[in-house]
Amino acid sequence: MSMFVSLTINGLAMGMVYALLAMGLVLLVRAVGSLNFAQGDFLMMGAYVSFGYIYMLKMPEIIGVILSVITYAAIGAAFMVSFYWPVRKAKWSQAIMVCTLAASMIFKDAANLIFGTTTKAPSAIMPGSLKIAGLSLQYQYLIIIGVCFFVILGVFTLFEKLYFGRMMEAASQNKYAAELIGIPTILTMAATYMISMTIAGIGGYLVAPIFLVETTLTKLQLRAFAGVVVGGFGSLKGAIYGCILIGLIESYSTYVITTYKDLVVFGALLLTLVIRPQGFFGESIAEKA
Amino acid sequence: MLEIRDLHAYYGAIEGLKGVDIQVADGSITCIIGSNGAGKTTLLKSISNVVTRKGSITWNGQEITGLKPTKIAKLGITHVPEGRQVFPGLTVRENLETGTIGWHGFFGHGRYEEDLDRVFQLFPRLKERENQKGWSLSGGEQQMLAIGRALMARPRLLLLDEPSMGLAPLIIEEMFKKIVEINRVSRLPVLLVEQNASLALEISDYAYVIEQGRISFHGKASELRDDPRIVAAYLGQFAGQKGA
Ligand SMILES: Nc1ncnc2c1ncn2[C@@H]1O[C@H](COP(=O)(O)OP(=O)(O)OP(=O)(O)O)[C@@H](O)[C@H]1O
Ligand SMILES: [Mg+2]
Repeated sequence: MSMFVSLTINGLAMGMVYALLAMGLVLLVRAVGSLNFAQGDFLMMGAYVSFGYIYMLKMPEIIGVILSVITYAAIGAAFMVSFYWPVRKAKWSQAIMVCTLAASMIFKDAANLIFGTTTKAPSAIMPGSLKIAGLSLQYQYLIIIGVCFFVILGVFTLFEKLYFGRMMEAASQNKYAAELIGIPTILTMAATYMISMTIAGIGGYLVAPIFLVETTLTKLQLRAFAGVVVGGFGSLKGAIYGCILIGLIESYSTYVITTYKDLVVFGALLLTLVIRPQGFFGESIAEKA
Repeated sequence: MLEIRDLHAYYGAIEGLKGVDIQVADGSITCIIGSNGAGKTTLLKSISNVVTRKGSITWNGQEITGLKPTKIAKLGITHVPEGRQVFPGLTVRENLETGTIGWHGFFGHGRYEEDLDRVFQLFPRLKERENQKGWSLSGGEQQMLAIGRALMARPRLLLLDEPSMGLAPLIIEEMFKKIVEINRVSRLPVLLVEQNASLALEISDYAYVIEQGRISFHGKASELRDDPRIVAAYLGQFAGQKGA
């Protein structure tokens, strides 16, 4: 029983981190029409940047976090300027995607160059564990769940409820009509890149004490891809639920096997593609049109 | 008043407009009629600056040729594009809200309830479908939504690209009545582009005929209606069929 609860907590926490990646992924797909293969690198950069501020420059945690978030947004904007803008009118529409592959390599090399190749181990945001009813739950996972909850809720509210988000949504659904009605699509797109990088970066900061800071952090991106497909491609809600599902499946699978959990995750992905290719939680397909 | 002088437009090596002069007088409905590929859409795109072009376009004396599309929209020159182009994943109400961006601004506090009411009064069908997603509307409803969205922009000039496209004859007539109503209520000038020449000439004050990127005739709509050359080419029994 206690094993089940802690696996659930861990799975939920990781699922929510995947959801941060996946939401950014979906927002970018909608805004520029192509998959961002550097999404995992956003997360990795997030971990490095916050480590840099808090441990290398020895800033207080809260100042480091605030500066990190500002830096994340700046990296997002810089990413758009360097890896999207130059190829936005390319004849081959997949050029944008290929550029994100290149960006992914550049990010890894940049991380090693700036921060050094040694693995870095930040301590937990709040060390120790919560002991109740014979359970022992690591605070780090609880914090991840709390922070992710508010970030996910915030992004969701922005896009579903607020005027600014509505304009971003409109611009991503039909750029031409948006321009004609007067929505500055460059701005909405820049905001999308900044938000995508920022939420992925926050994910990186959160998981750094668990996975350590190294360039292999980017592999979490594959979980996010799986979550997006399982949830229903193109829908924010689908991405969130799909990723949480992936997180839980992954976590429960460690109860049985530890070495082959990738197999379980991608088994779930394949199974979804076979029995329900449109995903489980997405709004109807036509919604994307 | 909108004044266009010696306008040329290009798609790479193709010249879509080859020197066009057009005026839209205050408070009037002006129509551009012409057959497929004549350059009607290109003309409206040129006004909104979403196509490569050269020449002069002035709006109430102000040169707007160099302005970005969003800037032109902000001036109140509101373009309802060919094929409606409503936002498929937004509801009717949300689609209408996007129309306000030009005067509301991203973080503005302007209220648009009255604007919404006015659009809903004009198109009660939209009120009934308020929370339905754009993609699920019929062609006629989408056209109403596209026009409604434009009205939310508090336009000072309305550019309409083939509002009759793909609609049943009865719906087309209803749509044209609404266009007249929009024009009459606030003296809003309308530049209407149409293949359905007979209806367009009926509701317009002034008309231009465009053929292969050039204006071939222009004059009062009532005069063009009786011009034998126009009748033969655009209003004849068979000519009328090709637009439908
Ligand atoms: N994107 C484009 N690339 C190349 N040529 C184009 C493009 N758009 C239009 N043209 C050409 O420009 C000319 C004018 O096209 P336009 O769309 O303005 O016609 P139209 O009068 O609106 O026709 P329709 O009634 O069919 O909408 C046509 O010869 C067309 O082939
Ligand atoms: Mg056209």
